[in-house]
Amino acid sequence: MSGFDRAAASLDVAPSIDDLPRVSDWLNELAEQDGWPERMRFGLELSLEEALANVISYGFEGLAHPPRIRVDYFRLPADRVALRIIDNGLAFDPLSVGEPEVAASVEEARIGGHGVQLMRHFLAGLDYERAGDENRFTLIADPHKAA
Amino acid sequence: MQIETEASGEDTVLKVSGRLDTLNAKPFEGQLLEAVKASNGAIVVDMAGVDYVSSSGLRALLVAGKAMSPHKRKLRLKSLQPQIQEVFDISGFSALFDIH
Repeated sequence: MSGFDRAAASLDVAPSIDDLPRVSDWLNELAEQDGWPERMRFGLELSLEEALANVISYGFEGLAHPPRIRVDYFRLPADRVALRIIDNGLAFDPLSVGEPEVAASVEEARIGGHGVQLMRHFLAGLDYERAGDENRFTLIADPHKAA
Repeated sequence: MQIETEASGEDTVLKVSGRLDTLNAKPFEGQLLEAVKASNGAIVVDMAGVDYVSSSGLRALLVAGKAMSPHKRKLRLKSLQPQIQEVFDISGFSALFDIH
């Protein structure tokens, strides 16, 4: 999964949720430039925000070194695209989190855990690897993926 | 994100527009909880103008729903755009709230 060609675009992200609107703007420029269908654009914007919000909120707790977060964009064969979030935070595999149970009522519903569930629904593939001191979380979208 | 609050008999209607994303979720949750405190009726969230919701936006609604349920009060949602409805369906939130 690491063997993509060179990134077509990259963005450094500050470790603050205040930087997320700038990330969305960047993504929407790519969407326009590459003519993504609306459903794919929505799925990628949502998935990237979910992934980055997790890294920013929990990824650097208790760490002394300067946080570093980058998003790489790749164009893949058959119109697919990938976004890879690379950070030097705590080792964490988002795919290791189980799906939240379906709650029958507001009282029973657990808060949280829905981000990865939404990514799995809207995207064609997800991949995580730890490489050295970096997490590499890859989101793959396919414009031909059925709803 | 913009929120307009208006009374409708016993109930309070919040007309929300824009993005319910990670950045807006806390202010959204704050305004929902204010509305919960300020009345005893149902809260209706009109989502017609909402074009984006992430799990943090869902979380804000769940927090408000949890604050209301011990008092048997209803949190109702209306006019969800199709992609927003899909997010609610996938996360199981469609079954938790009264959605019209």
